[in-house]
Amino acid sequence: MPGALAHLRVVEIGDGVSAAYATKLLADLGADVVKIEPPGRGDRTRHRGPFPDGVPHPEKSGLFLYLNANKHGITLDLARPEGRDALGRLAARADLLVHDVHPTAMAASGLDYERLAAAHPPLVMTSIAPFGLDGPHATYRAIDVVSWNAGGVATLNGEPRHPELPPLKAFGDQSSFQAGVNAAIGSLGALFARVTTGRGEHVEVSTQECLAAILELTFEFWPYCGLVASRLGAKPIQPLCFMECRDGWIYICCVEEHQWRQFVEIMGSPEWAQMELFENRLARGANFDALQVLLQEWCREQSVADLYEAAQRRRVPFAPVSTMGDLVASPHLRARGFFATIDHPVAGSVEMPGAPYRMSATPWTLRMPAPTLGQHTAEVLAEIGVDAGALRRAGVA
Amino acid sequence: MARRAPLAGIRVADFTWVWAGPFCTLQLAHLGAEVIRVESANRLCVTRLLPPFAEFEPGPNRSGYFNQYNQGKKSITLDLKRPEAVEAARRLCAASDVVVENFAAGVMDRMGLGYDVLRELRRDVIMIALSGYGATGPDRDKVSYGPAQVPLSGMSSVTGYRGFPPMHVGISYGDPTGGLHGAVAVLAALLHRARTGEGQYIDLSQWETSMAVLPEAIMSWTMNGVAPERDGNRDPQMAPHGVFRAAGEDRWIALAVEDDADWRRFAAAIGRPELAEDPRFASAAGRKRHEDALDDVVSAWTVERSPEEATAVLQGAGIAAFTAATNQDLAEDPHLNARGFFVELPHPEVGVRKHVGVPWRMSASACRVTHSAPVLGADTDAVLRDICGYSESDVSRLHAAGALT
Repeated sequence: MPGALAHLRVVEIGDGVSAAYATKLLADLGADVVKIEPPGRGDRTRHRGPFPDGVPHPEKSGLFLYLNANKHGITLDLARPEGRDALGRLAARADLLVHDVHPTAMAASGLDYERLAAAHPPLVMTSIAPFGLDGPHATYRAIDVVSWNAGGVATLNGEPRHPELPPLKAFGDQSSFQAGVNAAIGSLGALFARVTTGRGEHVEVSTQECLAAILELTFEFWPYCGLVASRLGAKPIQPLCFMECRDGWIYICCVEEHQWRQFVEIMGSPEWAQMELFENRLARGANFDALQVLLQEWCREQSVADLYEAAQRRRVPFAPVSTMGDLVASPHLRARGFFATIDHPVAGSVEMPGAPYRMSATPWTLRMPAPTLGQHTAEVLAEIGVDAGALRRAGVA
Repeated sequence: MARRAPLAGIRVADFTWVWAGPFCTLQLAHLGAEVIRVESANRLCVTRLLPPFAEFEPGPNRSGYFNQYNQGKKSITLDLKRPEAVEAARRLCAASDVVVENFAAGVMDRMGLGYDVLRELRRDVIMIALSGYGATGPDRDKVSYGPAQVPLSGMSSVTGYRGFPPMHVGISYGDPTGGLHGAVAVLAALLHRARTGEGQYIDLSQWETSMAVLPEAIMSWTMNGVAPERDGNRDPQMAPHGVFRAAGEDRWIALAVEDDADWRRFAAAIGRPELAEDPRFASAAGRKRHEDALDDVVSAWTVERSPEEATAVLQGAGIAAFTAATNQDLAEDPHLNARGFFVELPHPEVGVRKHVGVPWRMSASACRVTHSAPVLGADTDAVLRDICGYSESDVSRLHAAGALT
C-alpha cells in the first residue's frame, strides 16, 4: 500500500527542528522530500546529538537521523546565485516548499514566493518564523527557550514553594516541534485547497502563535476574569501530584471524588483519610501540605508498577513517570510496534520513535535512513539539468 | 473573487470532548470544515464546567476554556443513551466526511457507530479515534487524563530543575500534541480520498504522539542506555541559556547565546565588552564549563531592567531574547495585536472577548475563525432538519421524546 502522500514532491530548507519535522510528517506518509543543507556544516541538528557513546559526529546525531529519515539530501549554498538558481528549478517541479529560514534572510536565500509562483503557480510555500513574517517583532530571533517563554508556556510551569526558581521550559526543542506540526497542517490545508483551485499559495507559521494557542485554560483568565495566570499558585484540586515510590516516581491523578475514594481504599482506608481536612477535592487542595506528607509516607513503600495497576483496575487514571528505559521496554508499545529501527551507512542500526498514528489504508512507513551530507546531490541535480560537479568545484554544492 | 476556505464543503461529526479531540477539530474548523460537535446536557463537556467563567459567573456557555477551543464549530445535543438519538447520530455520520471520537475503547461500537458500521453507511468515510493508549495492545483499556500523559510519555522524567523531582510542563501537553497530529492524519486521509475515493480508519494514541516529540531523550536511551538529566532551562551545548530574573515582581527574561559571534555581541550589548576577551568564555565549551559564573554576570545585568527593556537591547544586538510572557502580556502584546492574531467576535452570553486565533496565515485561501464558540445545542434543530433529513414534525417528536438534551 502506498502512503497517503506518495504523490507529493516536497522541497525542504530546514536548519533545526521545525521545517524538518513538518516534512518528516509528510515523508513518513510517502511524500518524496528533497532536503537542502548548506555545504560543509549541514543542518545544525547534525551537531546536536545524542551521539553513540557521546562522541559528536555529523552523520550520527540521533535528532538528525530521526527528523530526516525517508528524505533525500542535497547540499546547496543558497547565498550564491548558482545555488538559488538550482533551488528555483527544484521549486518549479515541487508541490510544496517548506523552510525555516529567518525572515531577514529569506530574500537573500531565493525565497521570494511571488517569483517562485510566477514560474510555477501550483507551488505551495510554507515559511516558519519565530514571530511570523510581519509585525514589530518579525526580525527578532528566537530558539526554543525564548519561544517557549514568548508564547506564554514557561510562566505556567514552576515550583510553587520556590518562587526564586524561574519559569521552566519543557525538555527538548518543543517550540519547534509545535511549529513543525502546525506547518504540516497549514501546508496540507493549502494542498487540499489546490485540489479545487489548481493554484498554490504562501502559508506563514509563527512559532510564538503556535504556543500561545496551546495554553489550555489559562489564556482566557485575562479576557474573562482579569486574572494573570502564574506558576506559583497552588492547585485548586488535589491530589494531582508526583510521588516517589520505592522504585521510581508515579503521578497521582484524582480529579473526581470517586477516584479519590478508590485511592483511599487502595491505601487500606487509613484513618487520616476520613479527616475533615481532606473531605473533598477543594479541601485537599487547600490542605495539600499536610496531604502530601501523608501520601508520600505511604507511597514510599509501594512499587510504581503495582500502584499503577491497582489504580487502573479501579479506573483511576494514575500514570507512571516513565523513564526512557520504561518506554523502550514497554510491552504495550512493543505489541503496537511503536519503535522503529533502520540501518544507516555510517551510524549503523538506529532505533527511534515510529508511527504516531495508524492509518488503515495508507500506512506510515520507514523506507530509508536519513541522508548523509550531500548523499543525493548529483542524482537530484541531474534530474533538473544542473551539473553537480561544476557546483561542487565552485563550492556551491 | 471571494476567498474560499480549504476545507469548504467538508463536514466533520465531532464526538470528542475535553481538549485533545476538540483541539484536533479546531484545526479543521480553522481550515473551513463544518465541524458539528455532538454534546449532551446530561454529559456536559468538562471544559464547559471549568473556569475561567466570564466575570466569575459559572454557566455552560460562559467558560473561556470551552469558548477558546470550539470557535467556528456548531453544537447539537443528543442524549446518546436513547435509541432515537443514536439514529440521529448515525444519520449525521452518514452525511459527514470525517468522524472524530475520543470515547473509551468500544463505546462507539456498542452504540452501533463503529467504523465497520459507518463504512457501510458511507464507503469513503474517514474515522479517527484519539485515545490515551491507542486502540490495540495490552494497555488499550487503561484510562488516561490529560495531565497524566505528560509523565506517561516520559516528558516529566527529563523535565525539571536540577536536583528536583520530575515535573509537569504547565499544560496537559499530550492533548494539543495529540490533537494536532490527529489533524495531520485527517488532512492526509482527505488528500488520499480526493485522489482515490478511498476512506479509512485512523488509530491515534496520545502516548505515541507525545513520544514523537521526544526523540533526543528516547534515542539517548536506545543509543547509549542513558537518559538526559533534568537540568532546568539549561542546554547541553549553549551558554548562557536560560530564564533570568528581571526588574519587577516575579518578572523574567529568557535568552540564549548560540555561538561565539553571539557571545561577543552579547558582551558588548550588556556593556561588558571585556568579557569577550575573557579566555574562560571564549568558546562554547568554556562557557558551559563556567556557566554558573556566567549566569551570575547575566543576572546582574538583567535584574537591573525590565524584561521589555532587556529584550529590546538584546534583540537590537541580534541575540535571541524575550520576556517570560504571562497571559496578560500576550493579550497586550503589540506585535500579536498588530498581526491580528486575536479573535474578537460576539458571543450571545459572554459578549466580545479576546480569543487566540489561527497560528498560520494563508495568502489565497480563507483561513480564519468565522464565528464564536456555539452555545450548547445552538444548531440542533437546523442540523437535524438540513443535514440528517428529519422533517419539522420529526424534530418536534424527538424533542418531545427527550432525545435532544
